Amino acid sequence: MQPSATFGTRPWLPRGRLGFFTLVLAYAGLVLACLLTLLAAVDLSWGRAPWHNLLKTVSEFAHPSFLDLWWGPERLEYRSDDGTLLRVENRQHVEAQFLAGLGRATWTTFQIATLGSLLAAVMALPLGLLSARNLSAPAWASRTASTLLDTLRAIHTLVFGLVLVGIVGLGPTAGILAIALHSMGTYGKLYAESIETIDMGAVDAVRATGASPSQVFFSAVWPSVLPQFVSNHLYVWEFNIRDSTILGLIGAGGLGLLISEAVSLFQWSRLATIILVVIALVMAFDALSRRIRKALL
Amino acid sequence: MSAVNHPLPGVVVDVRDLLLEIKGRCILDVPSLTVRHGERVALIGPNGAGKSSLLKALGGFVSASQGRIAVLGRDVTGVGSKAMSAAQWRALRAEIGQVMQGLHLVARLSALENVVLGALARPGAMPLWRSWLRCYPESLLREARQALSDLGLEHRMDTRADRLSGGERQKVSLARLRLQRPKLLLADEPTSALDPAAAQQACDALVALAADATLLTVVHDTELLPRLADRVIGLKEGRLVFDAPLKTLSPDLLKNLYETGDPADGCHSNPRTNLPLALPLRPRGFPASAGRCTA
Repeated sequence: MQPSATFGTRPWLPRGRLGFFTLVLAYAGLVLACLLTLLAAVDLSWGRAPWHNLLKTVSEFAHPSFLDLWWGPERLEYRSDDGTLLRVENRQHVEAQFLAGLGRATWTTFQIATLGSLLAAVMALPLGLLSARNLSAPAWASRTASTLLDTLRAIHTLVFGLVLVGIVGLGPTAGILAIALHSMGTYGKLYAESIETIDMGAVDAVRATGASPSQVFFSAVWPSVLPQFVSNHLYVWEFNIRDSTILGLIGAGGLGLLISEAVSLFQWSRLATIILVVIALVMAFDALSRRIRKALL
Repeated sequence: MSAVNHPLPGVVVDVRDLLLEIKGRCILDVPSLTVRHGERVALIGPNGAGKSSLLKALGGFVSASQGRIAVLGRDVTGVGSKAMSAAQWRALRAEIGQVMQGLHLVARLSALENVVLGALARPGAMPLWRSWLRCYPESLLREARQALSDLGLEHRMDTRADRLSGGERQKVSLARLRLQRPKLLLADEPTSALDPAAAQQACDALVALAADATLLTVVHDTELLPRLADRVIGLKEGRLVFDAPLKTLSPDLLKNLYETGDPADGCHSNPRTNLPLALPLRPRGFPASAGRCTA
């Protein structure tokens, strides 16, 4: 519908196979332009010793810090260059404390993702319903809703987080609101797309019995889209768990704080532990949500 | 407007000078058509003759470009017009039972729930919240169960609609109509998904449903005509070719209806609007139709 209208108003645009070839050519030109400008500015470098650095990082990542819980030295002595004893620590003890903190931070991250997702899912519902093109909402409302959703989706969670930390202060509240605002856009879009795929024939058939709009909605639209809404919710929720791990970087609480700490102190083995926790969390949630989705559809 | 404001007693469908154009093509051109209460009318004709469009226009799903359509004493000519309020439209829809071509049921609801949906607009059938929560009163459920078992579907009541076969879906939509209790039944190829035996069964069920209503059916299978209709209307290229009682229908008439005309001497536009016709063909041997088209 839209493309044909575009072709209609711009007859000079190439069409068909030639049109696609032109499109590919334009894309190739764009990629070349990006590459050549970077090369011209000599910004495209691999650093001084990429292989050495890679090996060093990999070897440190290969020894995640949580292993110290069992095999860490009980008396680790830190000495200065001239041999003076600076500090003695029990690695096992210190690591246990770190892991306890990691557990708390993981829970905070999960809280942020869960509450933010739920808030977004609820707030996006009316916007999604309004912007779905087949539910015949008034044109102005539909356009306003989809513009709002597009705007929210365009702004990254981190940007929302930075602004919100300034408003509500440091802590998980800012994280929850940041997640909620950004994923509202995603939810609204997914909702609208789910609604647009339903069988309008069935909706028309219910309408043809003389049912009122609210009855048509709850009898034909809602039962058709609810499983997809739940599936969308699980998907975005999982996405938000990943997303909220970095929110701590800007002081919105959770794992990100530990990540930034580990990175600033070059503690790659600790970063490895944190990343493993994130991977485990996301994978466990994904396995669970996949089962729920399968059962629903 | 007189027929609309003071409907003739017993006239269910009254079409005057109807012209239906969709995207600049003339789909229907019906000078006059009247259907009285209790009649069983079959619409036949080749593909693209405008049978489904006529049914849609009668159901108030497409707007006529010219002329007037009155159904059950109400003007349904302009679909988007403010002549009838939304509530009036709904009241009219509740009195018109539709069997659509695509067998559309709500896929995620059970067969039984799909049947109960027919009673949504019945006044006093259930409070609004019950229809919202799909928590239907026992009396309606009993009625729906009865309707389904009368059609031989008692063992499929709790099956989800998207797991039913085509024939079973057809029966579910017929059972839904029984709960709707319409005064006018518009069936668009109600037997398209069925094998011959099931088609006959469905036709009988449809006629039984229309016992004290009016029935308009689009059929392709002329074998089913004796079961479905006492009056047959032949349509071709958007025009009425014949309108005759079933008894007087001759095989010749049917043969001519489905025979393709010669495109060379066909008329390519409608003299009333100068718009191109959906099918620029003129049937041979039907002066009634040829007379209206003098290109």
